[in-house]
Amino acid sequence: MSVMTPIFEGLWDHYIFWSVIVGAIAFGWLYHHSFWFTSKDGKKIPNVDEIEVGVFPKHNDDMRLEVAWTILPFLLIVWLTYYSWEPLDAMWTSADGGVHGYECEEGQVSNNVMDSNGIITSDCYHVIEITGQQWFWNFDCLELNDSLCDTGTETMEVYGSVPVLSLKKGETYLAIMESVDVTHAPWFQHLGTKEDVLPGQQTTLWLPISESMTEESMVLCAEYCGDAHSIMAAKLVAHN
Amino acid sequence: MVGKRSKGAIVALVVIAAMLALPSAQSLPVGISGVQESGCNCHGAVPSDSVVASIDGLPESYNYSEAYELTVSFQGGPSQEGNVNQGGFHLWASEGALSVNDATSQLYNQNEVGHTDAGNDQLSWTVTWTAPATDKNVDFVLHVNSVNGNADGAGGGTSGDMWSKVTISLGGPIEVLEAADPFVVLGVLIIVSASLLAITLAYVFYRKDPDAFDWDHFAPWLADWMTSTDHKKIGTLYFVAGLFFLGVGGIMAMIIRIQLSVPGNDFLTQEQYNQFFTLHGTTMIFLAAMPMINGFANWMIPLQLGAADLALPRINAMSFWLQPFAALLIFTGVFSGHGADTGWTGYAPYVVSEGAHYGTTMWAAGQIMLVASSTLTGINFLTTMAVMRAPGMGWMQMPLFSWSILVANVMLFLSIPAFGVGLIQVYLDRVVGTAFYDIAAGGDPLLWSHLFWYFGHPEVYVVVVPSFGIISEVIATSSRRSIFGYRSMVYAMAGIGIVAFIVYGHHMFTSGMSPTLRFVTMLTTMLVAVPTGIKVFNWLMTMHGGSLVYRTHTLWALGFLVTFTLGGISGMFFPSIAMDTHLHESYFVVAHFHYVLVGGTVFGFFAGIYYWWPKATGKMLSEKLGVLHFLTAFVSYNALFWPMHRLGVWGMTRRHHTYFVTTEEALGSLPMEAAGWNMFITVSAFLFFFSNFILVFNMIVSSIRGEDAPDDPWGGWSFEWMTSSPPPAHTLYKLNDGSWGLPTLKDANEHIANEPGWLSSWFQRLLVTDEDTEEESH
Amino acid sequence: MSYDDPHHPSPWGPHDWKHGSPHNSWAPFILSMGVAIFLFTLAGAFKWGEFQGWGKIPLIFVGLGVVGFGLLVWWRQDISFGVNGEVFEPKSAGAPFQNIDIRKVAMWVFLMSEMMVFTSLFSTYMRYRFGIASCQTVFESGEWVEGAAVTCFEPASHLIASSWFHIAPGAINTFALIISSFTIVQALRYAKMRDIDEDVRRKKITRYLGSTWFLAILFLTMKMIEWFLGFPLPEFLHEFNHGDSTINSLYTEGYLINADHYQHHEYDTHYLESNGHGLDHDSDLYAMMEAGSHPGGHMMANIQVSATTFYVTTGTHGAHVFGGIIGLSYMTLKAARGGYTPDNAVSIEYFGLYWHFVDLVWVLVFPFFYLY
Repeated sequence: MSVMTPIFEGLWDHYIFWSVIVGAIAFGWLYHHSFWFTSKDGKKIPNVDEIEVGVFPKHNDDMRLEVAWTILPFLLIVWLTYYSWEPLDAMWTSADGGVHGYECEEGQVSNNVMDSNGIITSDCYHVIEITGQQWFWNFDCLELNDSLCDTGTETMEVYGSVPVLSLKKGETYLAIMESVDVTHAPWFQHLGTKEDVLPGQQTTLWLPISESMTEESMVLCAEYCGDAHSIMAAKLVAHN
Repeated sequence: MVGKRSKGAIVALVVIAAMLALPSAQSLPVGISGVQESGCNCHGAVPSDSVVASIDGLPESYNYSEAYELTVSFQGGPSQEGNVNQGGFHLWASEGALSVNDATSQLYNQNEVGHTDAGNDQLSWTVTWTAPATDKNVDFVLHVNSVNGNADGAGGGTSGDMWSKVTISLGGPIEVLEAADPFVVLGVLIIVSASLLAITLAYVFYRKDPDAFDWDHFAPWLADWMTSTDHKKIGTLYFVAGLFFLGVGGIMAMIIRIQLSVPGNDFLTQEQYNQFFTLHGTTMIFLAAMPMINGFANWMIPLQLGAADLALPRINAMSFWLQPFAALLIFTGVFSGHGADTGWTGYAPYVVSEGAHYGTTMWAAGQIMLVASSTLTGINFLTTMAVMRAPGMGWMQMPLFSWSILVANVMLFLSIPAFGVGLIQVYLDRVVGTAFYDIAAGGDPLLWSHLFWYFGHPEVYVVVVPSFGIISEVIATSSRRSIFGYRSMVYAMAGIGIVAFIVYGHHMFTSGMSPTLRFVTMLTTMLVAVPTGIKVFNWLMTMHGGSLVYRTHTLWALGFLVTFTLGGISGMFFPSIAMDTHLHESYFVVAHFHYVLVGGTVFGFFAGIYYWWPKATGKMLSEKLGVLHFLTAFVSYNALFWPMHRLGVWGMTRRHHTYFVTTEEALGSLPMEAAGWNMFITVSAFLFFFSNFILVFNMIVSSIRGEDAPDDPWGGWSFEWMTSSPPPAHTLYKLNDGSWGLPTLKDANEHIANEPGWLSSWFQRLLVTDEDTEEESH
Repeated sequence: MSYDDPHHPSPWGPHDWKHGSPHNSWAPFILSMGVAIFLFTLAGAFKWGEFQGWGKIPLIFVGLGVVGFGLLVWWRQDISFGVNGEVFEPKSAGAPFQNIDIRKVAMWVFLMSEMMVFTSLFSTYMRYRFGIASCQTVFESGEWVEGAAVTCFEPASHLIASSWFHIAPGAINTFALIISSFTIVQALRYAKMRDIDEDVRRKKITRYLGSTWFLAILFLTMKMIEWFLGFPLPEFLHEFNHGDSTINSLYTEGYLINADHYQHHEYDTHYLESNGHGLDHDSDLYAMMEAGSHPGGHMMANIQVSATTFYVTTGTHGAHVFGGIIGLSYMTLKAARGGYTPDNAVSIEYFGLYWHFVDLVWVLVFPFFYLY
């Protein structure tokens, strides 16, 4: 599926793998027992648990099994948490010497690289601003020159007039975001990332544009904000 | 005497319902008084045909937020070149914003412009109109006045002048239907359903005693239902109300799916769609799922405990009656097109903004009443289970359905007050102008998020845990075995109940959370899978070594195991935050929660209905119809919700009234296949909706000519099977010696009745009993 | 089902409690209807803080009237409870509440949920109190200009704790509630006493319940004085109040939920120089004024959030006191008719538990909102 970023895909595949295993165990077991232990009249086996109206039946348990299926899922969950840690750390890396370093000096470039897990690291990052309001996005390149960051508008056949943010491949950006009125959230679809924009507070979002980034992709609003929420769109262009 | 009183009450009720259903006057655009309605009749009593007004520069359909230069002008009439005054105009636009370009026009407000003194000697004027940002039907009304200039200055000499008007309408890129349309549809469907319900009630009454079908008999019967404090009657009321609103919520879902069946659809406008998904969510959770749980709980908890009723019967009735009145409030404004449009989560500050429709205030008010109702319910059930268990029934001898209701109610009444406080804050902000969520004054939108989700997350467990209880009962009884791992089932439910309160942050991963908190919430959210997994494995193990008898309730329980497990697995993707950033607010979320809510909760309800219907009504449901219901519903349900996972990953966003696919010509936000899948989902939705009418039909047929049910048709052990089907009017049980009374539980295990466990002993030492305390201190 | 027959008393009351709880009652239906009408009509009378006209007010009273009528039906069923041995006060079975009255357990559970209500209100207050800079801090930092309102947090204690006179109503209220918790216990004590004359019991209970009622009324009266009315000082005390003859209410001082242009003399450099203790010499503002980079003046503040959290939290508590007054009215009336005997004395205890809780909440509200 083309819209998955490598980091997402890595996690997705791993989770699907475990889901299939857990699902296979559960559904296989269900399937088996649904057929193996059926009875037309309920009398296949004698009343081992002494079921009788008004009598609490005999306990039906097995300590070892119950401990087993407490411990094993717990271990799986610890493993999945551990597996998710590195991507989490990368996507919320600190702006002060995290995986994207510090803000770029004049003339410095990010030169970001993506490792085999889809995790991107950079030498430094550029700061831009995104403002959300009802019902359009506002991109501000601040002091970056045109080759690094450019804004404009475009008329799209389906969305009408949308703002366009044009960023350079291989560069990493930190978007400082705020809202003018209610909550919104820009979803950079092909970056697989979003963060709420709130009125009266600032949030940040990393936009690492890798060399393999799709050239044109959509930014949709992903936090309900009223009437025109559905068409509050923007376009992200990744240029060379 | 009594009949009159009941009549009066019913009339009052209808009047109030009518008052509430009337559109609220201030919300309809009545337009601007004066020129727009009455015309330029200062200049002449009636418009004149010889004056022709026109507006140039308007497009066929506007583009969002685009500015257009409009030229308003007229021809004809007495005005002549060279006169001091030639004419004037007044332009009104129902939407968008007008602005003036020069001193010959003036702006009264953003909907109205007119000429100035300096501009009253022209035949045409230019103004700017900025189109709205959303889809609307825009009406322009232009009044022009052609004066003969027979007096100096402005204001004098209006004789001989002529005026005229022209009206133009246009729409935006997506053509908009008149505001009321889908609401007319919804309203008609609700009225039809309510009428069917009323007819059914009348018919049920008729069947009770065909010879006594008159008002003098009907009024007391109706009054008895309206005033009853009996847990069985209240349970039935809850159940019928819940089922009714399940249908209403389903109708809303159908309308939503029609809108989403093709990209760029215009069946619903954005504003209408926003109201529909808000009300769909609120209706399904608060007016359908919670009442149905209360229906089962009211019926079965006293029966399972071996009690005569709940601890506080009148409070129980109060809990119920708060609900229909709350529903009236919640739906207020819907029929005039101004229902709440905030999403069921009602995020601030949109929820306290003037942009959110007027119905939002009533939506908050209705939910405040529901909070009161749920709090009273929680108190009632917790007290009942703590104090009214039959002799021999310690805490660890309660049936698992009772345990599930206990855990659910404890979670509910501890979490819902936070929601209630939040709602009161919203209500007060919108009504008396407090500043809880006023950003300019320092208000914080995240405060609402915390209050809401502190309630919201336990709430979704409140809604699913009773289904766990039902499934435990059904699988154990169907397998003819005791539930596997009773104690770990109890601990697992209690564990879910506790952990529920500390994971609510996972709804706020993208709201600017600190990385440390994100990690902690990730871990705790994933840990919830452990007790839930224990329960699933215990259910599977219960069948082991059993004699599984297939009835419809068995099928639904097994179906539940499939769909709830799938829903739980899909839920595991979200705590991995690097996936959550993509999946949050997408259709993957919609798929997940519908799998656990419908595939979990509702399928549990279906299992419970087939399981307990004979006990409650004394009639058996048809197994054939039941199997047919299961097959059609289960298949269409999966066809309906499974593809949504994929749509979510592709990038389809929630709460968007429409979506656009990428074609050869244009870039959209989804791949082309998404359109076909959406249509497939819509068709499946209709199949699922109609398949559930098989159940309704089954219920009706069973009531009319179902075979009589024995006391214990399925071979269960708990106390509800120890009374007649249906139980007597005053709940009592058939004891071993043939008499009727309150039972004592026997135990097939070695267990000493009434000896408290270590926790209970410790707790008891803290209390002072009432027995021998007269004047002593307490 | 026929009514007014001995086995099935009327759903309008009165009720024969020997048979247990009422099987039918109109009260829940009517109460629910009243609450819905009240919430609906209240929202019609005000929109976004703007009063919509006196014409809308009578409808609110319709709602309240229906609620009152529902309560009357409820009480009509309850009033015979405990009289002539008509008691239905079942005790708990099973651990851990064995032998404790069921309704007492229910009352404790109810109080748990009420704790959650006040916890949420306190959380809201704390989030804003500690998250928004206080007006004092903002003033002294000099980061404001005259004529432009700054958003800051002005705790009510700044006004109320400014002098003993200002704090007097709050202090009276504290004592009123604590004493009322005592009087309610005394009422319970006399109700439970077995070996006293009936008439003496009736009089004692009525007097103690009446005192509790009176103290609760006093509480709300003091609150209204503090919020809206203010009170005048006798002449000989004027000098202790900077020469002012009245203690202003919060309303008069401008401490309102719509106060986005709040100006208090404490934030006026001219006033402080001439009348008050003077501007704090350590503050940044003082330094800036000395340096000439800040002209001083009268700071304007947007204190809507401060006033909102104050009035809604203390108001919610006040509403609970008001609910208690409603209950006490019924109980005093019932006591005057000799309705409380040792058999049903425990119903006074149920109210007492609620009342102690209200008192406890006040003991927390008072320091946090009035003193600190």
